[in-house]
Amino acid sequence: MITGCGVVSPLGTGLRPFWEGLVAGRSAVQPIAGFPADDLEPRAAAEVRDVPRTDPDRAGAFALEAATQALADAALDPASVDSRRLAVALGTTLGGMQLFERWLDGDAVDGVERVPYYAPAVRVARRFGCRGPVATPQLACASGTQAIALAADWVRTGRADVVLAGGADLLCRFVVAGFNCLRATAEEARPFDAARRGLVLGEGGAVVVVEEAGHAARRRARLRGSVLGVGAAADATHMTAPDREGRGAARAIEAALADADVMPARIGFVSAHGTGTPYNDAMEAVAITRVFGPRNVPVNSIKGAIGHTLGAAGAFEAILCLQVLAEGLVPPTVGLATLDAACAGLDLVYGEPRPHAANAAVSTSSGFAGVNAALVLGRAG
Amino acid sequence: MSLAVAVTGAGAVIEGVQDSRRLPADSALVIGPDGSVPLGHLPEAVRARALRAERVTQLVLAAGGRALAAAGIDAAAAPETRAGIVVGTAFGCFLTNAAYQRRLAAEGAAGASPRLFAATVSNAAAGELAIAYRLAGPAVTVTAGGASGLVALGEAVEVLRAGRADVVVAGGADALGRALADWVAAAELAFGRPLAEAAAVLVLERPGRVRSELGRIAGHASGFEPDPAGPTAGEGLAGAIAAACADAGLSPREIAAVASATPPPLAPLEARALVATLEGRRPRPVMPFGGAFGATGPLGLLAALAEAEPGAPVLVLDVCPSGQVAALVAWAREAA
Repeated sequence: MITGCGVVSPLGTGLRPFWEGLVAGRSAVQPIAGFPADDLEPRAAAEVRDVPRTDPDRAGAFALEAATQALADAALDPASVDSRRLAVALGTTLGGMQLFERWLDGDAVDGVERVPYYAPAVRVARRFGCRGPVATPQLACASGTQAIALAADWVRTGRADVVLAGGADLLCRFVVAGFNCLRATAEEARPFDAARRGLVLGEGGAVVVVEEAGHAARRRARLRGSVLGVGAAADATHMTAPDREGRGAARAIEAALADADVMPARIGFVSAHGTGTPYNDAMEAVAITRVFGPRNVPVNSIKGAIGHTLGAAGAFEAILCLQVLAEGLVPPTVGLATLDAACAGLDLVYGEPRPHAANAAVSTSSGFAGVNAALVLGRAG
Repeated sequence: MSLAVAVTGAGAVIEGVQDSRRLPADSALVIGPDGSVPLGHLPEAVRARALRAERVTQLVLAAGGRALAAAGIDAAAAPETRAGIVVGTAFGCFLTNAAYQRRLAAEGAAGASPRLFAATVSNAAAGELAIAYRLAGPAVTVTAGGASGLVALGEAVEVLRAGRADVVVAGGADALGRALADWVAAAELAFGRPLAEAAAVLVLERPGRVRSELGRIAGHASGFEPDPAGPTAGEGLAGAIAAACADAGLSPREIAAVASATPPPLAPLEARALVATLEGRRPRPVMPFGGAFGATGPLGLLAALAEAEPGAPVLVLDVCPSGQVAALVAWAREAA
């Protein structure tokens, strides 16, 4: 069961500004202001504006704020949970990279121990006194999805009662210059659009409370939804380019559906990875059409609104799915104006939000090194 | 009690100063005096990939190739969708990050290298292994600091138990270099012994479909110590030990030997956890390999499979100075 959600997003801090911004079709993409970007081209990104850059462990700060919010949303005092049954699964692709940039430059840096990828999870675990499993999935841009999958597995196999699960990533010169040099970026993200040119980076943190059903029932917790199934698969074809046929992504979705014991026809919404790069979106169109058939299920991407938040993206999109199921409303795909003919098999929601009642949704993510991961999420009640 | 999975192949890459005789027969490969990772045993196409790759990937391909060959698994022509990968690494692409960032800092955006940036993901090694051997099932990389390797083996056991794959290639690896050694010193991480680079990779399968096996992993668990150097630390590890034994369907009383990869400065934490769970008994120690970050735990398991009395349950432990802990219960099989 998912009993709480916490969000630090470029559209605002808190579940409500995030959701309202998505439904309104707002884009948080602007010229980069948080660090020197004059030599970066493109230099647009979706920054978190209401968390100052004073904490050099920015991803850790996002994770901690999102986890604190998620616990409050779940009305759960972590001290009331058996500490051995309290766990953290937090994806990231950059972790303490802002600290790393400064340390490598020879600056005296406080908190240099927070450089590694595992540091945001450790910071959250220490804050809440966890003694259960604490791990950081490293599936590149699918890390946030895999973190929630791992949390669901831990609860299902009796390894934890409460897991703080999600992802956090930050914008810094390291990552913006990197995606720029791969020629993967654009000034504007236009997922599935005929004129899409590339992705726009974003940052933030998203954490959910994954709670064992009996534990949640005993304390009469309000439910936000459930993780019904999880799946992962490798392309095993290329390190940076996705399999053009989308076979790995399709297998991950099919594995998650099989794990949930849910037929594709019962899925009422698909949150696509939808980065806005020519190859990713075409690959996903093939994969999603292969699993669900042509134009059978509403699809969107939120990366035109909040950018590609890398290791946090899958966690944001899982929360999006829970909101779509709870509110019966699919937010529009910001940046999409003219659907690419190559993506015509998808029933994309764009322009306006679409009222749509559904009981189950799929969130799919893919990343460097040919990783794919998917979740099946269920509506509360 | 949950399913015990079979270890059907093993490969390890260690430094020359380590004692390769403590590992299972034919599993060990030794890094050359010039620092080169041994790749001569790999099929030519795999070796060509490895030669172009960053160092963690080289270590994983070298150890993984040896383990797969021992298990009788060749590089497939078609994607094998029932074969998965779980790699544990404490620092992953740290050295690649440093190389990429140094050029970016020195030359500005024009110094950003696409080749280096594409390898600044810790799952590069798992991805290369998947491509090289056409392993197209779940490919997962996980970091839990120094406990990463044991955590990865535990998650691999779960992939098999859940029926998501028939074979999983799993283990731990970390590369060592100047930037990482400098950072470990700056962060004052208490490993308490010389640092080393290594990889240890196992092939795990559901029992029943295998021809021969080195041993079995019967139970696993991980946990966390919020204050590992504190005077009362040990509760997280005690919880993991109890859970791993329960997972294996054993009482902690039945543990015959302990292979501890715990850094010496954290021995008090481990001692408190063992007193709490093994009730003052002191099972025979198996000497593991220390100081190799994510590879340390899996190397400890391999040493246990090589040295422990066949059939006798061994408890393998690892503790990270950052707080992550893991416990695994395994035993060696008698020679057929």
